[in-house]
Amino acid sequence: MSYDTSSNFFWRMNGQQMQMYRYRKSSFLTPDVSGRVSADDDELIYPDESITNGIRVEYNAFVKPFISADPNTLATDSSETTWTNPTLTEVTSPEETSHVNLNRMLSLACVCFVQAQNAAKDGNIQMKEYYMREFYKKLADNESNKRKISIAFPSPVSSVR
Amino acid sequence: MTVLEIMERAGIRDTNLAIAWIKDAVHFIESTQTENLKVRKLNLVKNQRDYVLPADLISINSVSVLDTEDDNKYKKIRRMVGEHYVTEDTNP
Repeated sequence: MSYDTSSNFFWRMNGQQMQMYRYRKSSFLTPDVSGRVSADDDELIYPDESITNGIRVEYNAFVKPFISADPNTLATDSSETTWTNPTLTEVTSPEETSHVNLNRMLSLACVCFVQAQNAAKDGNIQMKEYYMREFYKKLADNESNKRKISIAFPSPVSSVR
Repeated sequence: MTVLEIMERAGIRDTNLAIAWIKDAVHFIESTQTENLKVRKLNLVKNQRDYVLPADLISINSVSVLDTEDDNKYKKIRRMVGEHYVTEDTNP
């Protein structure tokens, strides 16, 4: 039975594979070559039990890069409570009419990335660097859009309005 | 935004090349931002160290192990760095 798994298990990557280890605290006392007795090292062992669905991996995935509908518009929008998102069907053989599965800001970042690659193809490294900077700026804008923080200040009761 | 819109804005005429670069951009974005998180579960197998990860993985956000002693909660585990004293113990 697994217990205290957050402190007993560890993982690491090895190429395409993930390695799982269990921490085992040693209780043995072993004499060294000089005859001194010291506590043995703690060690990492292979998992010592089987657990069905025991490992949960949360990861960023390459999901549907091209889709058939615009992901940034609602399919129906009749009122505050009645709206639906579009059905995003993956396009396996993308064409010019296919939509990129990104929001508007990331789509603009995508434009900068394509411009950077095109500049690099032409050997214009300065322009490539410029467009890559614009690309990173738009990624940063997209991240900051998710972290809008509002700060409220209480107004004193004696304040004149 | 459609592929054509991106091509027009970027001044590219080659559709296949544009699609390849857009795929690269999406891959780049996915590897630096949290846009499409997926969860997959694997069986933890006794005496097995190596586990195959999903093929569509770009970057790992977290790894958890089921704690059967604590109401079957998945608890996030830490990533190991550096070299450690590892024992292949087939009879723990």
